[in-house]
Amino acid sequence: MPAAIVAERLTKTYQVKVRDAGLGGAVRALVRPRYREVRAVEAISFQVERGEIVAFLGPNGAGKTTTLKMLTGLLYPTAGRAHVAGFTPWDGGSAFKRRIALVLGNKQQLLWDLPPEETFQLNQAIYAVPATEFQARRDELVALLDLAEVMDKPVRQLSLGERMKCELAAALLHRPEILFLDEPTLGLDVTAQEAVRGFLCAYRARHGATILLTSHYMADVTALASRVLIINRGRLLYDGALQALVARMAHTKRLELVLGDGVSREQLAAFGEVREFRFPNAVLEVPRDQATAASARLLASVPVVDLSIQDPALEDVIRRAFAEGTEGGA
Amino acid sequence: MNVWLRRYAALVRSAWLVDLQYRAAIAIWMLWNVTEPAIALGIWWSIASQGAVQGFGRDDFARYFFGVALVNQLTLAWDAWYIDRWVRDGEMNFRLARPIGPVHEAIADNIAYKARTASVVLVVWMLVALAWPVVRLPFAPGRWALFALAVVLAAAIRFLNGYATGLLAFWTTRATALMELQFGISLFLSGRIAPLALLPPAVASVAGVLWFPYVLSFPVEVLTGGVVTPEQYVRGFLGQVCWLAVWWAAYRVVWRRGIRHYGAVGG
Repeated sequence: MPAAIVAERLTKTYQVKVRDAGLGGAVRALVRPRYREVRAVEAISFQVERGEIVAFLGPNGAGKTTTLKMLTGLLYPTAGRAHVAGFTPWDGGSAFKRRIALVLGNKQQLLWDLPPEETFQLNQAIYAVPATEFQARRDELVALLDLAEVMDKPVRQLSLGERMKCELAAALLHRPEILFLDEPTLGLDVTAQEAVRGFLCAYRARHGATILLTSHYMADVTALASRVLIINRGRLLYDGALQALVARMAHTKRLELVLGDGVSREQLAAFGEVREFRFPNAVLEVPRDQATAASARLLASVPVVDLSIQDPALEDVIRRAFAEGTEGGA
Repeated sequence: MNVWLRRYAALVRSAWLVDLQYRAAIAIWMLWNVTEPAIALGIWWSIASQGAVQGFGRDDFARYFFGVALVNQLTLAWDAWYIDRWVRDGEMNFRLARPIGPVHEAIADNIAYKARTASVVLVVWMLVALAWPVVRLPFAPGRWALFALAVVLAAAIRFLNGYATGLLAFWTTRATALMELQFGISLFLSGRIAPLALLPPAVASVAGVLWFPYVLSFPVEVLTGGVVTPEQYVRGFLGQVCWLAVWWAAYRVVWRRGIRHYGAVGG
């Protein structure tokens, strides 16, 4: 079976008008405009198999959203090719668009002044969903997302979390094969984030949908994606399993300690780098291959009530991957 | 029911439901659109107190500007402002991800708005006509049918003109300024401020080669009896069809190129 998403050397460059500061700069830009070429996405290639959930990670301006917009047919690439659900996205027309869904965390498609039900009915007509199927899907989504209480309230009166859940439901009524989610948990509180993640997992398990999402929340990544794509300055730095990335980029381990009486910071420094010390809690960072030995020496030398060995925080791993520009993948 | 009929029915329904939330705003907007012909009528009414102006008496002015109020409501197009906003703040994105082009939403919005506001203007006209016989129109189903055709063509030209101009937002932040400029010019060249027959010959000849008279003056004169001979009808409808083709072609070109140029800002 062909992959759900294939990107081959996908590239997008923009002409950006440059202007010096101040009134003089404004006048010069008017008389003789100057342009600079910005490579938002540079020859990135990857595949996403059917049913996979892949997280697209990168700092702001890395090229994640631009890639998502090319894959959904909103943007024409400057170079390269893409196949999504068997279509070239920017030439796929309505047949292609009926097979995908795009959810933008910071832009909404819900009709602001009307209850979500109205957007659902509008989408039923736009996507030509038969009435009986529409009712079944609507009921399923309302149940999965726990939306029964909000279906008759105007969207403007809903909380951010309720709105995002309604956005997801509205985007899935036509049962798309592939979901593109750009920051789907942006600005949501922890409970709403968990509800959205739980729903996406359940939806994918039930319907075998392929999901490509961007997020700045590592909790989204760990809960949803087994594979990550890391992009920075338009270049794909890493494509592979999350655990492999951690193993590759995490050169250290964290020893999280609860100390016994009388242990000082100076004593701990003999076993590794002290990252935190707030007696009785402390965190030591030691080279990955010495973690076990260091733990044994520590337990033998100083009073320790509790000790656990952890990988570094995922945020630190990702930050290091951005900085080091890791090539390839697992 | 056909898929497209269902889509349009749903889009028009949504537009009506949204409009119902903004009843006061729409009433004020309607009032504003009627104010301009009312002021123009007041001025010409006063001028014509000494006698007809180039064949236009007070009664002619009254019928003409009632016609202007109705046709203006039926052909008004504001899409350029929406498109400009959608392109600049990223609201165009989800519209492009749907299996119907954004133009269909705009057409449905136009149908919804015009059906409702024009019906209000018609009712007001009928009420005024009960008390003021001057603005009564003779019963002429054939003329009314031709008027309906002229209005549909005028609305289509004005819509495509506004939509194509709005799509320039893909390249420039000044698309709405271009629309404002056209709106200003149309004050004179479309017959909003005075019947075209009263314009200086040089201005009238400029108007004759542009689309402005075909979107307002021509339908109004079909309704009020200013267009009489078969040649006048043929010239008017031919002009409308030609300008419709021009603006449709402009829309297609700007859309195809603009969508390739689109930067899809924001989310």
